[in-house]
Amino acid sequence: MGLLVGALGIPHNPFTALAIARGDGAVDESRRLYGELEARLEAMRADTLIVFTTDHYNLFFELSVPIFAIGVAEATSGPSDYEMLPQFRLAVDGELAAELQAAVVADGFDVGRSQEFQLDHTILAPLGVIRPAMDMAVVPLWISSSMRPIPSAARCLALGAAVGRAVRASALERRVVVAGSGAFSFEVGGPRMSEASHVGVPAPAWALRVTELLAAGDVATVVAEATPERLAAAGNAAGEILNWIAMLGAFAARPASFIAAQGDEGHAYAAWEL
Amino acid sequence: MSVYAVDKVCRRAVADPEFVAALRADAEATLRAVTPQLRERERELLLAGDVGALGRMGANFFLLHQLGRLELFGLTLPSYAERIRAEYAVERAAWLEQRPERR
Repeated sequence: MGLLVGALGIPHNPFTALAIARGDGAVDESRRLYGELEARLEAMRADTLIVFTTDHYNLFFELSVPIFAIGVAEATSGPSDYEMLPQFRLAVDGELAAELQAAVVADGFDVGRSQEFQLDHTILAPLGVIRPAMDMAVVPLWISSSMRPIPSAARCLALGAAVGRAVRASALERRVVVAGSGAFSFEVGGPRMSEASHVGVPAPAWALRVTELLAAGDVATVVAEATPERLAAAGNAAGEILNWIAMLGAFAARPASFIAAQGDEGHAYAAWEL
Repeated sequence: MSVYAVDKVCRRAVADPEFVAALRADAEATLRAVTPQLRERERELLLAGDVGALGRMGANFFLLHQLGRLELFGLTLPSYAERIRAEYAVERAAWLEQRPERR
């Protein structure tokens, strides 16, 4: 039987991962927070990591942009979009991914299938820090949270719940961790960037509020407040919170086992032991 | 529809090193050959690195910033950011006034 043993919330700033790879002391706090997730992931003894993430225009663009899609393959590689980051080849749990797709489609979620793909920095920048051995299979589940129209928070929560049910109903012997990748408030290259950089955090108070709500286990309020208007105001990458919300849907709401915000980055690091 | 052509140029630059090499070798000829075709104005703005105007026309900022990251059309990430800030100076001032939390 499939067993959901834990959950992670992971930021994916590629420049942070690059600085960590280069031993830059300026990112010591990020290294420490990633280290916390690394230790907790190790303790979860997972076989498979399901990652809800957002394709950053690397995989889906010209042919089709699915609202939801899952990767079903034997292996993958990347990150495809930052060649200066450490490059990896890793296993995909295609058997579980195919089961998940069939189960959630039967459950009313029209999740497309991708069978030939590379992963981008949204998965492999953080995974390269917290699991560089890449000795754990992944299942990527992409949520289109950047290019409008984006799905609702409630729909993503329900998708996560369907994935959680499918994992628990699976006859496959798997210890599974679910992860949500991304930030709560972030602007990349747009007018709301900071004065000092090409990125910015337009709504730091929103990012801190989300962190506080998740620390208290109040997922329902996060979902209620993650309206399209709020996400639009929080930056052109703020839709990534939908990846976290899908992750949170996979298990009954409870306070995070660990959560720490980086207010000036608009994101948090979090773990739930289930 | 045409802004899609600008977005596609930016997206292709991330994914296709040969395309980047061609842009560095002969940007104008390379842009004339892309599909779907760029409008004359879009090609001129790309060649000038005028990302502010392209943003105004609706180009995707996430994709547009890749031109700075890849240092195409005379841009760098700092100069990309400076041009966007300059183009949107009025809106940025208004946002700062409305959102004291914003840094």
